[in-house]
Amino acid sequence: MNRIPSKLIRAYWIAVAMLFAGASILTAKYTPNETSMGVVQKIFYLHLPVAINTFLACLVAFVASIAYLWQRSAWWDDLAAAAGRIAVQLCAVVLATGMIWGRSAWNVWWTWSPRLTFSLVLFFLYVVYLVIRSSIEGRERRAVIGSVYAIIAFLDVPLVWLSARLLPDYIHPGNVSLPELAMKITLAVWFAPVTLLTVGLIATRFDLNRAQSLAAISKAASRRPEIRSASAVKVPTILGPKAMGQTEGVL
Amino acid sequence: MSLAMQQPDHDAHPFSVAARQFILLVGKDLKIEARGRQTIGLVTVLGLLIVVVLGLGLGGGTAGGFGATAVLWVAYLFSGVLCFEKTMAVERSESALAALMLTPVGRGTIYLAKLTSNLALIATVALVITPAGVLFFSFDLSPAPFAFAAVMTLGIIGFAAIGTLFAAVVSSTRLQGGLLAMMIFPVTLPLVIASTQLLLDRFVKGLPIGVNGLGILVAFDAIFLTASWLMFELVLEP
Repeated sequence: MNRIPSKLIRAYWIAVAMLFAGASILTAKYTPNETSMGVVQKIFYLHLPVAINTFLACLVAFVASIAYLWQRSAWWDDLAAAAGRIAVQLCAVVLATGMIWGRSAWNVWWTWSPRLTFSLVLFFLYVVYLVIRSSIEGRERRAVIGSVYAIIAFLDVPLVWLSARLLPDYIHPGNVSLPELAMKITLAVWFAPVTLLTVGLIATRFDLNRAQSLAAISKAASRRPEIRSASAVKVPTILGPKAMGQTEGVL
Repeated sequence: MSLAMQQPDHDAHPFSVAARQFILLVGKDLKIEARGRQTIGLVTVLGLLIVVVLGLGLGGGTAGGFGATAVLWVAYLFSGVLCFEKTMAVERSESALAALMLTPVGRGTIYLAKLTSNLALIATVALVITPAGVLFFSFDLSPAPFAFAAVMTLGIIGFAAIGTLFAAVVSSTRLQGGLLAMMIFPVTLPLVIASTQLLLDRFVKGLPIGVNGLGILVAFDAIFLTASWLMFELVLEP
């Protein structure tokens, strides 16, 4: 496995941290306060990029799951698992920042408005994905079931969005408007650190998953010596491609 | 079982072969249920109990009985999950599923047959639970009984489409109980939201049934029937 040099990884994280610091300073010093909500409105600059990156992480999990079912390589499953986990973490941030916004703007922590409901259901969809994965023993089985669930969950997202819009919306503005150019620039700037953070987190988690599944494969191989010479032993099975996956990584 | 005996019949159209297999599979499930009545009794009583418990808990506090739609959904969801679990468990006993998978029956056909048996079961249960819920909550159906039936039917079809797929997923993992409910509930939430909102609009505000809401229900059914039909083969394991 070709590993990225650790110096590069460190440089990447330092760059992400500096971008976060820069964006924060920009938001504090340069961006004007919104007239009606005051300083709390600035949480929006974090909220929106994180929300969009949540969606991107879900998309990665979806694509990786399809690729897994197609190619049956644990590589894709590890990627899907990493993206699913990061999607849950980002969605938690979306929910938290959304609730802080709601408390400040409408004086309630929670209301069943379309957007809040949508984020909550999305959060649950992917929390369940993680729970399912952690409760299935066999690696092959976990990968197949996880992929099927991740595909179903992602197909469900637009339906959740459409159905949530049927809920009565008493308080939410139709669109959050940013009246001044400085606000638009701030929002655009915030996309950089958040997106890089998402990519970095998914990559780190993926690397960890990869190491774990390779370790699990070599452990299984040392326990059952016949797997070591797996290329010679092709287990006949009615479910052809599954047996192939078991030996992968050892060969 | 006669499925195993079936020789590939070169004269028969593949569709008619699949249709015959489908009828045999559904007939087998319904026959087992009709002889044993293991699922239907259990599930109906569970559904009624849920309606009663929620009725007592809410204490008539829901003005005009409009809580009925939500209460009915809770009852459908829990009794439905039990139905799906039971119909898949039938295949587990005596490794019936392994035998079924050795026969030249398309996995899609197995899915559609399981879905149909599940729908038959849950429709029977719904026919008992729904009048009970409507009665206990004195929910006045008279303005639009057909709209109510149509919305609930569309909802239940989508719910069963997902439930049949996930029941096959869970039954292969020796993980029963909570996991199936946990997998199905978040995915079916759009159905619950859309159908309860549609019914509230119709019965509380007196608005006609909106095309938007109905469209969501139909889209849900179409998307998940197709996706489950395609993916059923991947999760099926003896």
